[in-house]
Amino acid sequence: MRKTDRYRYPFMMTLLVVLHFTVRSHLGDDRVAPDFLLLALLLYTIRAEPGKSAAAGFIIGLLRDALTPVSFGAGALAHTLVGFFSSWAKAVFFAEHVFVRGCLFFAGTWLRNLIVLLVSGKLQSTQVAWELLVWSPLQGLSTALVGIVVLWFFRGWLSPRRPGAPTLGVSA
Amino acid sequence: MGIGTDRYASRGDTLLFLACVGLSIAALSLPPQWRDPLAQGLQQSVLAPFIFLQRQTELLAAARTRYDNVVAQRDSAALAAAFLPELRNENNRLRGLLGLSARLGGGYVSAEILHQPEPTNPLSFVVSAGRREGVRRLAAVVSPEGLVGLVASVGEHSSVVLSWAHPEFRASAIAQDGSVVGIAAPHGADGPNVWLLELQGVLYRRQVLPGTVIVTSGLGGVFPRGIPIGVVLEPSSEEKGWGRTYLVRPAVHPAALSHVMILTTPRPPGADLRNAFTTPQDSGATGEVPPE
Repeated sequence: MRKTDRYRYPFMMTLLVVLHFTVRSHLGDDRVAPDFLLLALLLYTIRAEPGKSAAAGFIIGLLRDALTPVSFGAGALAHTLVGFFSSWAKAVFFAEHVFVRGCLFFAGTWLRNLIVLLVSGKLQSTQVAWELLVWSPLQGLSTALVGIVVLWFFRGWLSPRRPGAPTLGVSA
Repeated sequence: MGIGTDRYASRGDTLLFLACVGLSIAALSLPPQWRDPLAQGLQQSVLAPFIFLQRQTELLAAARTRYDNVVAQRDSAALAAAFLPELRNENNRLRGLLGLSARLGGGYVSAEILHQPEPTNPLSFVVSAGRREGVRRLAAVVSPEGLVGLVASVGEHSSVVLSWAHPEFRASAIAQDGSVVGIAAPHGADGPNVWLLELQGVLYRRQVLPGTVIVTSGLGGVFPRGIPIGVVLEPSSEEKGWGRTYLVRPAVHPAALSHVMILTTPRPPGADLRNAFTTPQDSGATGEVPPE
């Protein structure tokens, strides 16, 4: 590993966080625009152990809850679950294909929205249906697309660091 | 396969996960009096730089939108300002038409010029009055400043006007003081003097000073006497026969008009319309009577 690699990963994560707070609001409908914070979490789970991923998800979720206090705690729980299970699934399925990772981003986004909707209980059933069947898939799709672009653009920067894990690449 | 198996997640991972889930459930069950200060604390500490960043981005986007709006408003204002002199001129012209109609007394019909984009439009154009409005062929077409032309053909609700710039236009002309008589015709030459008139056929022994106002003489019965044609500029370099020719600056340019008045009722012999029109002014006019 080169010396500069230790800076590349935090740089990419910081970039995603900055993009979330600067660019996201200009990418169209808020319900469809890619979730850069969740993407950063999912990318983190590729390298991190499930416990750390859960902690990272909890922190990110709690911070997001602070920005939407009406469902305080729902985001923390959702991101904790998504973070843990994403990292766990990564270890179980051992998937290194770009399409599988895209599916992981899509499923992570949709699952996060599902948990938030169920736990917060703020929406009517029709709204929940719309969210889960229309808006969440669209957001998952946009997040997955951005995730694939990030993986392609920063390929080599996101190599798994867990012992025994194969090298991460975009191609199969 | 259990989540906490050693193969995929260590016991520590599982404990950490359960702790996070527990904390999340605790956060969910926080009463509002605890939840809101906690959220505010996070907003004012950890999230403060991100909120600041987002606010600056929104401000930047709003500033850009406002800039676009300001530019659009400035362009609209510039466009409106560009049309302002034209509107003022049209307003003055319409006021002049109203004044002329009062002075003419009657026997006229006002019409709009239906301008066309062709370059020959100033020579011959269509007006929005025809036979139904009382327009007849060879009627004089005037504006508050003077003679515009004559009606060449008449339709049901429109007419074709031959302006003074048309090569076939001729009008019997006389100096306003009655000292010189001639024929007004378009100069028709190429170059900068193409939109000028000529006063032809002036007796060789007569000299016309620059600035002399030329009006219709009333001879021939087409144009009533006293409609301003233009102002003498200088003698023409071309001498035709035994007479002198003078360049005349027209009282009105057809392309600058939007409305005209068509004289529908023949004026009685000897009628003089000089007082009905605005007398053309020229900086070079001396006002002296030409020498006999």
